[in-house]
Amino acid sequence: MAKDILVVIEGADGAPAGVSLENINAAKTVADGAKVIAVSTCENCAKTAIEYGADCAYVIEGPQFETYNADVLADAVAQIAAEADPAAILTAATPKGKDLVPRLAAKLGAGSVNDATGLELDGDKIKFSVPVYGGGIISDVEIESPVQVASIRSGAFAKADPETGKAGEIVKKAITVADDAVKFQVKDAVNEITESVNLEEADVIVTGGRGMGSKENYMKLQELADLFGGVLGCSRPVYEEGWISRAHQVGQSGKIVAPNLYFAFGVSGAIQHIAGMVGSKYIVAVNKDEEAPIFDVADIGIVGNANEVLPLMIEEIKKFK
Amino acid sequence: MEILVLIKQVPDDSVDIKLDPATGAPKLDGVTPVTNAFDTYALEMAARYKEANGGTVTVATIGDDAAVSSIKECLAVGADKGFLIKDDSFADSDPTAKAYILSKAVAKLEEINGAKFDIVFCGREATDVANGAVAVKLAADLCVGVMTDVIAVDPADGGVDVQQQTDTGYNVIGLATPCVVAVQKPDYDPRYPTIKNKMKARKAQVPVITAADLGTEADKVGAAGSLTKVLGLHEPPKREAGIKIVPTKEEPIAAVVTRAVGMMAEAKVL
Ligand SMILES: Cc1cc2nc3c(=O)[nH]c(=O)nc-3n(C[C@H](O)[C@H](O)[C@H](O)COP(=O)(O)OP(=O)(O)OC[C@H]3O[C@@H](n4cnc5c(N)ncnc54)[C@H](O)[C@@H]3O)c2cc1C
Ligand SMILES: Nc1ncnc2c1ncn2[C@@H]1O[C@H](COP(=O)(O)O)[C@@H](O)[C@H]1O
Repeated sequence: MAKDILVVIEGADGAPAGVSLENINAAKTVADGAKVIAVSTCENCAKTAIEYGADCAYVIEGPQFETYNADVLADAVAQIAAEADPAAILTAATPKGKDLVPRLAAKLGAGSVNDATGLELDGDKIKFSVPVYGGGIISDVEIESPVQVASIRSGAFAKADPETGKAGEIVKKAITVADDAVKFQVKDAVNEITESVNLEEADVIVTGGRGMGSKENYMKLQELADLFGGVLGCSRPVYEEGWISRAHQVGQSGKIVAPNLYFAFGVSGAIQHIAGMVGSKYIVAVNKDEEAPIFDVADIGIVGNANEVLPLMIEEIKKFK
Repeated sequence: MEILVLIKQVPDDSVDIKLDPATGAPKLDGVTPVTNAFDTYALEMAARYKEANGGTVTVATIGDDAAVSSIKECLAVGADKGFLIKDDSFADSDPTAKAYILSKAVAKLEEINGAKFDIVFCGREATDVANGAVAVKLAADLCVGVMTDVIAVDPADGGVDVQQQTDTGYNVIGLATPCVVAVQKPDYDPRYPTIKNKMKARKAQVPVITAADLGTEADKVGAAGSLTKVLGLHEPPKREAGIKIVPTKEEPIAAVVTRAVGMMAEAKVL
């Protein structure tokens, strides 16, 4: 690819999201000698991005960037793109990233894809792998506009090993976005969920489904998660029943995860759930129904009562800890 | 308030759809067409908005004749009128081309209704292809504001306040009307139709709007007007088949768990 690739780095509290660092590696696989350029509103994120393989970075500055507004950021990135003339702009397939992609594409008159799980160089274009029908089929998509805009799913690429203190040019850009480019106003940000749950970066996830039977039973999964320093996951009904907050939901409308080890207790394995966890390296499922579809993706399936298996499993695993 | 809800008919999202090796296309025979789940959430939100604040709800879809059944489903659960946007030239439209067609359709429907739309409701994404792009691109074509992942819409001065779901709660977003919203699953489920409404919807007329009615330009619709191209479909890499253990008299559940944990240790995941 003769032209450079911009990677928009999503960051919270001065640290880039893991998936944004993965995206740098994703960009490298198709850069073909061209530069991979990080774009961020946070200087520390840009520095870290360079340590993780970006060649250089733009840091967007200006009072309009203090609180996140997708129209403002889309316009700013489009301004940078007008100057940098990239072949592609990549973002994380987070809610923010998936919202930014079509906004950017519309501004640039570009085509876009969301939630790509693979990138491959195909002549001077990128071939994007995009899961369709809940993930049962992969669509190979090419973007025909001069700029290709895409979001990439967490876990699809690994992060590079960081090179601490790596040098790379950081260009600061003071950007002003015209009022008429901003078509909504962020009036308030309400935090209902105060716990910090990082499902995407968890090494082990212990998920319970409706089959746990009650909130009390569901919460017993915490002991298993704690053995690994892991995180609790849930299916949509579990969140809707109010057993735990939405931050734990795995699946198409929750988080897409790919931990090393995924436990599914009393989860049927609906398409929308599987779509969110099938990338896990090792899957252990417990379900009393021998025909439950979760067994189709499990490395080990145990047909049994989850509430009976859980304490036994905790005791057995303790022997290895 | 004049409300437009844009819907798409998709294959039943509870069916695990695979490729048909013979044709290289998704195997869809026997799969019931349904209204995209997120569009049903959008319609429910629109219907509640209408019930609280007055107005009318129009639904429309770009699709073929089969999609009329989805329009009729919508008419049974809160929509007042429905339109099918159909033309051979619209086949293979990507989100860019669809947004263009829909922007023309908005103008046409406003002419038919004799009133401008205040809010256009879309789904967050279509459950089949999950572009998550049509709503935002449509808003750009209409030069209006758009918010995604919307879980509530309420009237406000000069427009609406919407709640956008975030990882930790929600943002309150002020949008001037007209605007577009793309709906995420809210806390409630769509209503079921009453028998009476179902019967009424079955008899309803669904007018068809064509390219000629819309005045769409041939090079802006279908494959010609699209900026993305599907090169082909393939199956995802298969997971290696695992093992499923059923407890027996000889190997009761405790022994099964011991064996399973042993296998996990062997696989070095503990
Ligand atoms: C647009 C859309 C988006 C969606 N997004 C998501 C999403 O992001 N995430 C998600 O999870 N779902 C999502 N869903 C919902 C999804 O379709 C399923 O309804 C949901 O995943 C089912 O959750 P479950 O497996 O916990 O419950 P159920 O389907 O009720 O399954 C419970 C399972 O537990 C088993 N069981 C019962 N008792 C026991 C016991 N004592 N021991 C062991 N096993 C037991 C049963 O055999 C059954 O298999 C979405 C749906 C739609 C339409
Ligand atoms: N064929 C269509 N006709 C009308 N609206 C559509 C169509 N396709 C998509 N949409 C709308 O755009 C939303 C997002 O679709 P997509 O961008 O394809 O994931 C859907 O939830 C619908 O509201």
